[in-house]
Amino acid sequence: MEQGETRKLVEAAAEGDEAAWRAIVERFSGLVWAVARGFRLGQSDAGDVYQTVWLRLAENLRRIQNPDQLGAWLATTARRESLRMVRGRRRDVPIEDAALTELLPVDESSPEFAALEAEQARLAAHRAKQMWRAFRELPGRCQQLLRILMATHRPSYAEAAAALDVPVGSIGPTRARCLNQLRRRIGEVSEAGSQPHTKKRDNQEDGRAGRA
Amino acid sequence: MRDEHDDAVLESELRHLIELVDPVPASLLAAAKDCYTWRSIDSDLAELVFDSVAEDHGVMVRGADHARLLSFEAPGLTVDVQVSGVGEARRIVGQLAPPQRARVRIRQGPDVRALDADELGRFSGPLREGPFSLMCKGIAAGSRPVVTDWIAL
Repeated sequence: MEQGETRKLVEAAAEGDEAAWRAIVERFSGLVWAVARGFRLGQSDAGDVYQTVWLRLAENLRRIQNPDQLGAWLATTARRESLRMVRGRRRDVPIEDAALTELLPVDESSPEFAALEAEQARLAAHRAKQMWRAFRELPGRCQQLLRILMATHRPSYAEAAAALDVPVGSIGPTRARCLNQLRRRIGEVSEAGSQPHTKKRDNQEDGRAGRA
Repeated sequence: MRDEHDDAVLESELRHLIELVDPVPASLLAAAKDCYTWRSIDSDLAELVFDSVAEDHGVMVRGADHARLLSFEAPGLTVDVQVSGVGEARRIVGQLAPPQRARVRIRQGPDVRALDADELGRFSGPLREGPFSLMCKGIAAGSRPVVTDWIAL
């Protein structure tokens, strides 16, 4: 979608065009969800953040300063509300530590793995599980960035930078590093066979890379 | 060192995997589309200017009776609220400044519940789970409605 198109949708929605609003939600829904999930929020808290972001936008349609940058506005709002939620939920845990806790279960009996079992066509279930394990073992910052960049409408680097509050220029290099780590870990978990998700030996190096 | 093509292939695989494992829940997507009709038109916005959670830098341990303090400001009206309790026992206590009698509507999704602020601008009532916003309208003639930012607790 062209930037000009986003502007038109925002202006139309501000004037009462509900179809334009629905188109905006369709387009950016994945980004808002990815930001909340990237902050390790569970389904319920991520759902509250997601709703709050859309309610704020609905209330602010006439006040958006730069409708072309709507994605960045949504990403920024989702980041702030996610951090507010993290602080409200776990005030005894520093934010950085909270970011290292698990987001999704790696338990094979979980619904997520059940969904993987059902998947046969584009991605073999075995490969999918290896990849998911490898992804879940990445440093928190890598998971967060990749989670956001993988959102359905393919967020721009500017949107990802807004979601993470980092310079736009850092997104490309960090993405490349995180993908390399993912590729290496997929190789490791497939070599390690049945008990792959205990490896932690790369953590020190990953910690440095993740802060870029 | 791999090239951009390899990265693109890996990314596409990961994108597919994440869409499979962690999609936006359909009920949330539907609610986001619906919330357009809940928006207020012709209200002033009271922006969040204070949130006790944002101020304490993670040093306080959360307790069940720990109150959340929030302040919202619009031109000519400040709304201070305190939210305490959890679940069924959650309550909101608020104060309008300048003090005035007003109708305060608690907005939570499509639900709206009305409270009255007394002549000192005080109001209180139960609060459900989930994001909320307040719409305040002084009873004096010519008062403009004010809506607060939405906030999730």
